[in-house]
Amino acid sequence: MQFIDQGNLIDDNTILVRRTLRSGQKVNFSGNVVILGDVNPGAEVKAFGHVIVFGSLRGMVHAGADGNEQAVVIAFRLQPTQLRIANHITRPPEDGSAAPDQPEIARIKDNVVTIDTFQSGSERQIPQKETDRYLT
Amino acid sequence: MGEVIVITSGKGGVGKTTTTANLGTGLASMGYQVVLIDADIGLRNLDVLLGLENRIVYDLTDVIGGNCRLRQALIKDKRYEGLYLLPAAQTKDKTAVNPEQMKQLCEDLLKEFEYVLIDCPAGIEQGFRNAIAGAQKAIVVTTPEMSAVRDADRVIGLLEAAELRKPVLIINRLRPKMVRHGDMMSMEDIIDILAIELLGIIPEDEMVVISTNKGETVLSDERARSGQAFRNIVRRLKGENVPLMDLDGAGLLTRLRRFIGLK
Repeated sequence: MQFIDQGNLIDDNTILVRRTLRSGQKVNFSGNVVILGDVNPGAEVKAFGHVIVFGSLRGMVHAGADGNEQAVVIAFRLQPTQLRIANHITRPPEDGSAAPDQPEIARIKDNVVTIDTFQSGSERQIPQKETDRYLT
Repeated sequence: MGEVIVITSGKGGVGKTTTTANLGTGLASMGYQVVLIDADIGLRNLDVLLGLENRIVYDLTDVIGGNCRLRQALIKDKRYEGLYLLPAAQTKDKTAVNPEQMKQLCEDLLKEFEYVLIDCPAGIEQGFRNAIAGAQKAIVVTTPEMSAVRDADRVIGLLEAAELRKPVLIINRLRPKMVRHGDMMSMEDIIDILAIELLGIIPEDEMVVISTNKGETVLSDERARSGQAFRNIVRRLKGENVPLMDLDGAGLLTRLRRFIGLK
């Protein structure tokens, strides 16, 4: 049995929202935000760090709101009204393309907000701290 | 012990008042003692729907202001034994009442009635806060439109914040044919966003307009599909398990076509 170095993984600046955010409701936090529920149209999530939604993200989301371009947004169903990372503002294409049927990740690549299918495992998609080492 | 139920929606014109009138007549026709409160002070409508406009002497603000006794302000319905209306004032506004007074009023009414239904005004300001103050249960009405669903979502959030947990949903004015062609939000689309229990679906029906103009409720019309939908909702409200009606209402030919895959 090999233990991973948990010290490197601790990131205590995270809040867990155990409910659905409905229209008019807002979460504003100076760290990461994890939501166990949906973010409905008209709701807002603003975080200095990452935003992770275990549900449908249909509202407005702003990750890395203090200018952190490393921040990402992950959702089971990523269909935001508007998605912002640091000072980049994007909105979904208006051609009404089909709703995603798998978890997706939004992040800045080459100065452009890019959406990809979220894959856990070998490829590390969420940037960790600089000293980050998964296995010691 | 009775129950105080508020009928609300956020958006205007989605059918709160129609729903209140129909559920009220439905419960009264089953023999319950029912009172309907029109909380839309300044824009009263419920009296018109019930055809009781010309019988109003005292109203809700008179009762709260102590100008009359509660009994004096209650108007007995023309058709249904056991159905009463407490009308709203037309010449005042929402600030004439505060939430504590509404709470007290509901408690007083519960001593005499088994169901107190409150017709909430549109919006989320003081009129809304007054209307929900005394309620134990909430029914949210929406139509299959993005704006109505958005407002319903906002209202559900506010109800939950006000400790009115587990509101139930009525989808009004659904047009099955448009849903089938993908031109209207479906029941599934709406439930997907709002994620609350569905109490019933009312199909779009011109009979509602006809009965409203006559000061009657569509629920008492045996042939109206919307009336059937309201009757089902009343039974569900009482805890009965009534399946959703087949809204397609398609003729035999259409059903046959669909059966063999011609849509």
